[in-house]
Amino acid sequence: MSEIPQSRATVPVITVKDFMDNAAGRFDLELIAGRAGLGNIVGEPMVHRPGLALSGFYDHFAASRIQVLGMAEYTFLQAMSEEKRCACFETLFACKVPCIVFPGKMEIFHSMLEIAERHHVVVFKARDLSRDFMMSAMILLEELASPRCRIHATMMDISGIGVLIEGKSGVGKSETALGLIKRGHALVADDLTCVRRHGINHLIATATEVERDFMEIRGIGILNVRQIFGVGAVRREKQIDLVITLTQQSEMEHSFDRTGSALLTREFIGVQIPQRIVPVAPGRSLVNLAETAAQDQKLRLSGYVAVEELGKRVVELHSTEENC
Amino acid sequence: MEDLATRRAERKVCLLNKYGLHIRPASLFTKVASRYNADVYVEKEGTVVSGKSILALMTLGAACGTELLITAIGEQSIEAIDELSGLVSRKFDIPEEQE
Repeated sequence: MSEIPQSRATVPVITVKDFMDNAAGRFDLELIAGRAGLGNIVGEPMVHRPGLALSGFYDHFAASRIQVLGMAEYTFLQAMSEEKRCACFETLFACKVPCIVFPGKMEIFHSMLEIAERHHVVVFKARDLSRDFMMSAMILLEELASPRCRIHATMMDISGIGVLIEGKSGVGKSETALGLIKRGHALVADDLTCVRRHGINHLIATATEVERDFMEIRGIGILNVRQIFGVGAVRREKQIDLVITLTQQSEMEHSFDRTGSALLTREFIGVQIPQRIVPVAPGRSLVNLAETAAQDQKLRLSGYVAVEELGKRVVELHSTEENC
Repeated sequence: MEDLATRRAERKVCLLNKYGLHIRPASLFTKVASRYNADVYVEKEGTVVSGKSILALMTLGAACGTELLITAIGEQSIEAIDELSGLVSRKFDIPEEQE
């Protein structure tokens, strides 16, 4: 049996520098000290308030997370003598925390900067209040650290439904996408789609930086979709709601679903996505089929399944006939 | 009897041409790959892309010296691998990138 080679799913390792570089546009982060620690790894992609640890209780302390001082920690530290506070930071930084953030109006204790430099702990000042900062930082960390992989497929936004079109080379993925673009839908990625897990049961698709906005059509060549069709024809990222697998009819060993009642799913990085297997044959308009499948999926997401209603009607018909 | 459709061949090759897998070599590669009745995959450090897609090949970011694994599955997989690995080792026959 020949197994098709597939890209390995990866879980990115994030450093303090990654966190800082990607903060732009989400929250303001100013580097105050400890530049040498920018390569520190954020082992657990979460934010953490040191809380009890500052009082000396270090059991179960989440040292590999980004440490954020809240008002409680700040007030607690402020009330201490300078000497005691330094000792406190000394113990905290010795745990090899990746970085520490002073959000909102909290003034940085200058006596701790030298300790941070020595332990290679990055010190940041954030403009937002701690709760706002923590929320945004968690979302960013989740995005940066979620598992991801690359799939040989084309990704489209069809009337708000994210559709991943997969199939072997030459089966017509890009041509279908082009037809969909002409009908007003938007391209996310052609031929190679980067997928990352969002939460536990969603997938977000994007294009690679290099390939974004471009597609290749056999016989025409490389096209820049944004330039030809305008900004409305492209989209940066989109959640995958449906997978359409294009298959040569001759390759269909199993007879495909005729009613749409079978709940086929396709798995990527541990997430199951509803799947439709669509046979490709002369005279079948793939653009139309993809568009209709997307609209049907939209209905299904709202709770309506056509085949179920048809089934109900037939049962009703039979029962009234019996009553006659 | 061997099932021709699942006949598999694979080979490791090293990119030798000066500028790596940019547009011209990528398009030459896909042109050759598309001639064969076989699915072609190219792998670099765990990332696999279709060998019949120019765009996908370019996103690999494969520079000169990169090691690639070419896999072909299908009736003509062996012929495809032979010609493709030959093409890569001849630096895609691009005159300016031979040194």
